[in-house]
Amino acid sequence: MYKYVIRRLLLAVPVLLLSSLIVFGLMRVMPGDALTALMAESGNVGERELKKLRKDLGLDKPYYEQYLLWVWQMVSFNPGDSIFTNEPIPVSLKKAIPVTVELAALAMILGLVIAIPIGVLSATRQDTPPDYAGRVVAVSGLSLPDFWLGTLVITFAAIWFRWIPPIGYVSFWESPWRNLQQFLLPAAVLGFRLSAATMRMTRSTVLEVLREDYVRTAWAKGLGGRIVVYKHALKNALIPVVTIVGGQLGVLLAGTVVVETIFALPGMGRLTVEAILYRDYPVVQTNVMLVAATLVTLNLIVDLTYAWLDPRIRYS
Amino acid sequence: MSASRRDFLKRTGWGAMGLTAAAVAGRTPATWAATAPYPEWIPASTKPPKRGGVLTRASQWDPPLIDPRLTQSVGLFQFAGLVSSRLIRYSFPEEVSGPSDLSLKPDLAESWQSSPDSRVWTFKLRQGVKWQNVPPLNGREFVAADVKYCFEQYAKEGVQSFNFREIESMETPDKYTLRVHLNTPNVFFPQSVAESVAVIFSREVLEEDGDLKKRMIGTGPFILKEHNRKVRIVLTRNPDYYDKGRPYVDEYVILSTPDTATRFAAFRAGQSDFVSLATPSEAELLRKTNPNVQVQAYHNTLTPFGVALAQDRPPFNDVRVRRAISMAIDRQKQVDTVYEGHGIIGWGVPYIYYQDKQPTAKDLGPWWQYRPAEAKKLLAEAGHPNGFTTTLFYYEYFPQMTSQVQLVQSDLKKNLNIDVKITKLDYTTYYGRYVEGKWDGLSWGFQSGHAVGLDERTYQYMHSKSTKNFFKVNDPQIDELTTKLRQTPDRAEQAKITKKIVDREFDQVLRMWMPYDNGFLMVQPYMRNGSPLAIRRTDAYGSPTIARVWLDK
Repeated sequence: MYKYVIRRLLLAVPVLLLSSLIVFGLMRVMPGDALTALMAESGNVGERELKKLRKDLGLDKPYYEQYLLWVWQMVSFNPGDSIFTNEPIPVSLKKAIPVTVELAALAMILGLVIAIPIGVLSATRQDTPPDYAGRVVAVSGLSLPDFWLGTLVITFAAIWFRWIPPIGYVSFWESPWRNLQQFLLPAAVLGFRLSAATMRMTRSTVLEVLREDYVRTAWAKGLGGRIVVYKHALKNALIPVVTIVGGQLGVLLAGTVVVETIFALPGMGRLTVEAILYRDYPVVQTNVMLVAATLVTLNLIVDLTYAWLDPRIRYS
Repeated sequence: MSASRRDFLKRTGWGAMGLTAAAVAGRTPATWAATAPYPEWIPASTKPPKRGGVLTRASQWDPPLIDPRLTQSVGLFQFAGLVSSRLIRYSFPEEVSGPSDLSLKPDLAESWQSSPDSRVWTFKLRQGVKWQNVPPLNGREFVAADVKYCFEQYAKEGVQSFNFREIESMETPDKYTLRVHLNTPNVFFPQSVAESVAVIFSREVLEEDGDLKKRMIGTGPFILKEHNRKVRIVLTRNPDYYDKGRPYVDEYVILSTPDTATRFAAFRAGQSDFVSLATPSEAELLRKTNPNVQVQAYHNTLTPFGVALAQDRPPFNDVRVRRAISMAIDRQKQVDTVYEGHGIIGWGVPYIYYQDKQPTAKDLGPWWQYRPAEAKKLLAEAGHPNGFTTTLFYYEYFPQMTSQVQLVQSDLKKNLNIDVKITKLDYTTYYGRYVEGKWDGLSWGFQSGHAVGLDERTYQYMHSKSTKNFFKVNDPQIDELTTKLRQTPDRAEQAKITKKIVDREFDQVLRMWMPYDNGFLMVQPYMRNGSPLAIRRTDAYGSPTIARVWLDK
């Protein structure tokens, strides 16, 4: 097991290195730089002055030098400062990460809370009205994009209830109630989409497992319905569900960009998009690497979860 | 991926709102102009102002940084003018009779006068003004040396250096007198220092921090209490503000809200006290749910956007080509469809500097009329009977702009057989290409929105030697007239010269202005004195207006 984990971690190194090259290259291919974004509109800054400022920021150095410097900063856990705001990147991340983590975690929880019971209900009541309703919900979740749903939710909340989640983020520790008010709707929007695929997968795998011989044996032994479904069938049905959930983490992080914008939450998504628009190279590069590292780690955790769910799976 | 989603969101959101409004009301959008029930001007309240309360606004703008030397971003200047004062300011709503009054009023300077040749300007400062009682200033007295230092720093580097480099030298004969010597005569110098961006910052902060990115301490009505990027900006009342009794509200909170639908929802739900709207249908939609709100139908005095042509090279260096293109574009259709009848057809110099009434297409001359047959004939005379192919790049400032770009493309194809290949760019790429000036074909050009002054709108944007001459104007007559204008102190004479500049601009089609929204300001029923002036909007570069707002709760 340990060997497996170490091997996976070693494999992560080339993945991260490749990611770093791609994000570094893409940012340099995009026209303009942070100074263009910051000053050009005024039309008051001469080319000589811009050259001086570029030199001050190290933007005049050869690309390989900029890349190596950045890689060194990353491995020494000092990603530097934002070109735009001068704020140290760890400080920006410290503010943004909790927002995105809270949003993603709540969305995941809500998604699973919606998906698994409905998926099981759909499977156990196959081709009955509850099943049809569950399938409609699942297909809606797959079809409705986050941005559309988010806009509708916030608009109609304002029209019908004269209420929207309070704008102006406050952390959970400052005010738990206000924080939850701010996060529940966006998490529900994000979670709804996430729940759709999980719901469908839960339904189909539970249906499959319910037809297995050992489940028939359990019924034959006279066990109660709940015990058969939840103790015998569900655990085995969850392995593909876990795969789906693991695969959706990337989708979840991408979804936070849109949902954070609509609900005015200052998370990683907004930080990264703004940094891309303003060509804030160090911020974009660090954020992308962080997301890449997170996805690599989460995928590893998902793989390890298989072993817990299915005792037959061994990694050694 | 995210950007395109956002784009789609914007478009569908606005489009859906417009369509819904039209459907609900059962009439076409174009008829709104004739029936819009909103006043152009909401006079200041005659009731005695009430102190206290928190004014809140959901704002799309989030300042990238707060150093006024490094950016002219509207995100910063939606509040910089509330924290810091200027030497002179434009009038507040309660001091004017209507939106077009752009007379100057004392701010930190009580009076100002020039030498007969307009090269030396002497400012007498208000005595007893204190910096905000925040370390390291700790409420020390504001003196003339502070202004001298600030202007010197502006001239040294950054986005305002062009304006302040016209200062040859400065002297402070005493604590309350500043004498400014200019390189060349400029009767508009007071206007330049009255612009919203010319805020006076403190020497101590710059010297201690090495920049102005972390702290903003001024002499203005509000103290910057919190600046939490992408969350909120909180301004609290400055108890030591020289204008005793003001500001009226205890706090002004700006909430970072990038999404349009969310800003509207925040206004509906009472989380935002005022909101800007582009079209009548938006105004009507919001009024349906919030019938008691006050709405002002804003009337723009200029447009910031138009088609810029690479007129330094063929085929656009031929005035016949420019005129033909201008005549082939149906501007009124853009006003009627894109802006639902509540827009202007487009001009670049504020008309209030040369005439009383808003210009009509007829006033703008023959090349501004939609005459496709004559346009085709003129293009043929210029040697392009079969049209040609060209490019147009733009950045979508607001969703309507894309519709306008597409209408121009369709007009030019239909009327002149000119194939326009459109490229939509992101903000940074657009500016990099546009400001650098090394582009061919067409661009959806801009002039920045912060300036009120005539010099900025004429000399600085049109003189061939100006770094802000983005439209590539290179016309000896314009150079001569704009230079003469800044040496002409007489108002009546200024108006005559300005009219000549404008006539020349339209005749030569030097800048091809496009329609722009008039917009609306919608405020909660209890907000008083928030009416915006002609070029100053309460919520953006005109933010100092907030100093006079009070809440009637």
